Amino acid sequence: MELLRILLRSNRFMAGFWIVTAVLAFALLGPTLLTDVGPFQRVGGLFNPPSRDALLGTDNFGRDVFTQLMYGTRTSLYIGLVAGFVATFIGVTIGTLAGYASGVIEEALMGVTNVLITIPPIVVLILLSVAVDARTATTMGIIIGVTAWPWTARAVRAQTSSLRTREHVAIARISGVGSLEMMLVEILPYMFSYIFMAFILQLTGGILAEATLSMLGLGPFQTVSLGTLLHWSLLWESVRVGAWWAFIPATVFLSITTFSLILMNAGMDEIFNPTLRHTR
Amino acid sequence: MPNVVEVEGLEAYYRTPAGDDIKAVDGVSLAVREGEVLGIAGESGCGKTTLAQVLGLTVQKPLYVRSGKVLLEGRNALALDRETMRREVRGKTISTVPQGAMNSLNPTLRVRNLVIDVMRDHNPRIRRREAVERARERLDLLGLPPRVLEAYPHQLSGGMKQRVITVVSTLLDPVLLIVDEPTSALDVTSQKVAIKLLVDLLAKRIIRSIVFITHELPLLRHVADRIAIMYAGRLVEVGAMEDIVFRPQHPYAEGLVGSVLVPEPGMKERTVTGIPGRPPDMRRPPAGCRFAPRCPKRFDLCDRDPRPFGIDGREVWCWLHRDQPNAERP
Amino acid sequence: MLRVFRNRPYLLYLTRKAFWYLVAFVAAVALNFFLPRLIPGNPVSVIVGQMSAGAVESATLERLYTAFMRDFGLDQPLHVQFWTYLTGVLQGDLGTSFMLYPSKVWDVIRQALPWTVALQVPAILVGWIVGNVLGALAAYKGGTFDRFAFTGSLMLSSIPYFCLAIIFVYAFAVHWPLFPASGGYSFGYFPEWSWAFFVDALYHYALPFLSLVLVAIGGQAIGMREMAIYELNTDYVNYAKKLGVSDRRVVRYVFRNAMLPQITGLAISFGTLIGGALVTEAVFSYPGLGSLLFTAIRQVDYPMIQGITLIITLTVLLANFLVDIAYGFIDPRIRAGQVGER
Repeated sequence: MELLRILLRSNRFMAGFWIVTAVLAFALLGPTLLTDVGPFQRVGGLFNPPSRDALLGTDNFGRDVFTQLMYGTRTSLYIGLVAGFVATFIGVTIGTLAGYASGVIEEALMGVTNVLITIPPIVVLILLSVAVDARTATTMGIIIGVTAWPWTARAVRAQTSSLRTREHVAIARISGVGSLEMMLVEILPYMFSYIFMAFILQLTGGILAEATLSMLGLGPFQTVSLGTLLHWSLLWESVRVGAWWAFIPATVFLSITTFSLILMNAGMDEIFNPTLRHTR
Repeated sequence: MPNVVEVEGLEAYYRTPAGDDIKAVDGVSLAVREGEVLGIAGESGCGKTTLAQVLGLTVQKPLYVRSGKVLLEGRNALALDRETMRREVRGKTISTVPQGAMNSLNPTLRVRNLVIDVMRDHNPRIRRREAVERARERLDLLGLPPRVLEAYPHQLSGGMKQRVITVVSTLLDPVLLIVDEPTSALDVTSQKVAIKLLVDLLAKRIIRSIVFITHELPLLRHVADRIAIMYAGRLVEVGAMEDIVFRPQHPYAEGLVGSVLVPEPGMKERTVTGIPGRPPDMRRPPAGCRFAPRCPKRFDLCDRDPRPFGIDGREVWCWLHRDQPNAERP
Repeated sequence: MLRVFRNRPYLLYLTRKAFWYLVAFVAAVALNFFLPRLIPGNPVSVIVGQMSAGAVESATLERLYTAFMRDFGLDQPLHVQFWTYLTGVLQGDLGTSFMLYPSKVWDVIRQALPWTVALQVPAILVGWIVGNVLGALAAYKGGTFDRFAFTGSLMLSSIPYFCLAIIFVYAFAVHWPLFPASGGYSFGYFPEWSWAFFVDALYHYALPFLSLVLVAIGGQAIGMREMAIYELNTDYVNYAKKLGVSDRRVVRYVFRNAMLPQITGLAISFGTLIGGALVTEAVFSYPGLGSLLFTAIRQVDYPMIQGITLIITLTVLLANFLVDIAYGFIDPRIRAGQVGER
């Protein structure tokens, strides 16, 4: 609670938090409140400039960009969340196990983790996406999540092994608490803020990975995301013909979302990591 | 005996990120005499380490000095400009063996290069080879192997690190050496060796006085000539070692002596076990005697700030001794 | 421990690293081999089937089918297939491209690779150097400078590479046509070692390079700032101050020690930045691997995609290994055999 109170005083955290909330509201409520056309409905011709009918003009298929932006943000956030949850879950599980187990199990788990970290994630992402032929938003989120966990695992392991030497863990061990209960009760709760920060980073990474894959043409089928928006506008040369409304909104939304998430993270980092506070 | 360094009316505060001021040292006046080991003891948070920082002229944010002087040969060293303070005083006139010797050496710097940096930053005309040669002679004089000069910190054992730091800190023959909890991380044997080295430095007249800061009173019995006991930022009793250890007069000193003579492992860095209660919140310290809320001998006069009373050559800040004359300030 | 390594900690470090990179290499090759085989059914007929959706003659399809059946070796047991693939890879044979049939994948990649390397390696290095200096300055100076540098770096580093690229193309090539909007060189030029071509290529190089560098600066500056602040609060810095060591020298200690983890950071950037950087190439239609990948994905050119991912992995692994070798030289703790992994 004390920490929450400090968090509310952190300018960085609050700025990030409010922008994220605004983006979230736009994505969740926008489609019902702000538009009466569907994301795939044609409302005009190729790259119509913004007008009263279409606030942000139309894209290469003559669809309303403003509507697309809302649905696209929604999909991107959704994929990011799925990826964030999957990556954090796997990462925390493996990291806690490795940090708690020590010995051969730790060596093996961290060996796998370190090898996976060395292979550039985009490579695995591309190969997996190519292999899965019916990509929904959910499968994309899962694909991104299963390639992104090693970072979380590594960080969580370091935390766990330092927690393991703490007094309360030692006391629990002496009193004969089982390994599973130990991890769930004595270790995980103490890393909560840390895990939450890792989740925010994974969420950000997930949104970026979606955009990267979609721009390369490996986006989700039958749905619109910020990445697929950019993919089509790129393919139809909207940048070079100067149809700014087709790509600027998605670019700005992508940047703002990731920036505000990272801002939140930086704010939390300053509070949970007192060494980062400036003393000079 | 002349005084080597004098502290006068020192008030120092920590500023928290929220902007509160925490009183760390409150009106402390103290003299370090030529040739002595002055022990400063107290619980953690009593201001002894802050006092060491001010004495060592290494005050940095969030700590700041509001008033008071550190007199070196009659001059207030706190008023010197930054560069003079660094070049002429720090490490050269007053030097420090810091708390936490384990991490006090730069992990990527050989000892010889630290030696060179320290010597040349005080006297740029010294050549690198001369600096190393001087360090080698000094190590030899103190019975340490000169090959440690070529080592990186991680190649030295804990006890050796402590000794190397002591030697590096005294390379420039400082007048006063401040030693802050020098033995807390060491095993018993290394503790003895570390203390023997300090005594040796004094005996060989490489340094002239030592301020020895610790929370372990028993340790002071073997090294200190005089002892000052601090509580909540103030001095409570200052006197000769035997007087303080065997005949303490201030109720807090009594409690401190009584409790540490029955050592309880693991508890030493917390509150003193013999005395119920905890030290006051230093954001809003209580008026009058700071110890009064915990004191078993409290009475009505204790709401007022106590004066130092003199009892056969020592000073005691306690109203119980109000029939004694005021202590003569050093 | 083996006798060879006694008193040779650096050799031990190198051997251990080399072993792990070998494992990573085999893992990467295995991923490249197995993942496309996750496609249900016979991958070749799926691929050729997907292609027949386009306007390809049936005779061509027939020829493709036989060629790819042979390449994939699908009639063999799995481990034999993998062996064939592995030996092929080691001999530089990455198969035949669909979209540019009958060109060999490696020949196509070989044309694109230099462009990618010439764009990304300098961008990462420059971004790394400038970012580190900026981060160290921010940590040391603190105050307003730090607040601006830090927030600015956060902003730069959180903008996706390709977003900045898109904005750059629109602003500096379309709206104000100062730079060319696409390509690695002008129409009518051919890649050759001539002054005119060099100038033209440089002109095309500016925007993609700048967009990559800026984002890289942000990320590195944040990392360096964090490390430097940490180092500034360490015991050894405080002790050096107590000894009266000059500020200039203390800063040098801090910078050096904060730099060490940043070297590992350099290795990591190679791996993590490459994804965004590939899309940046596609945005600029730069004649490198990114644009090639973009087209290959559109044309469902499996061997090409696989070849590109493999080459990217190898390049990144190689870069990482080189950085690790350098790191071992620089950190005395490794030379002395104290710290194995960081």
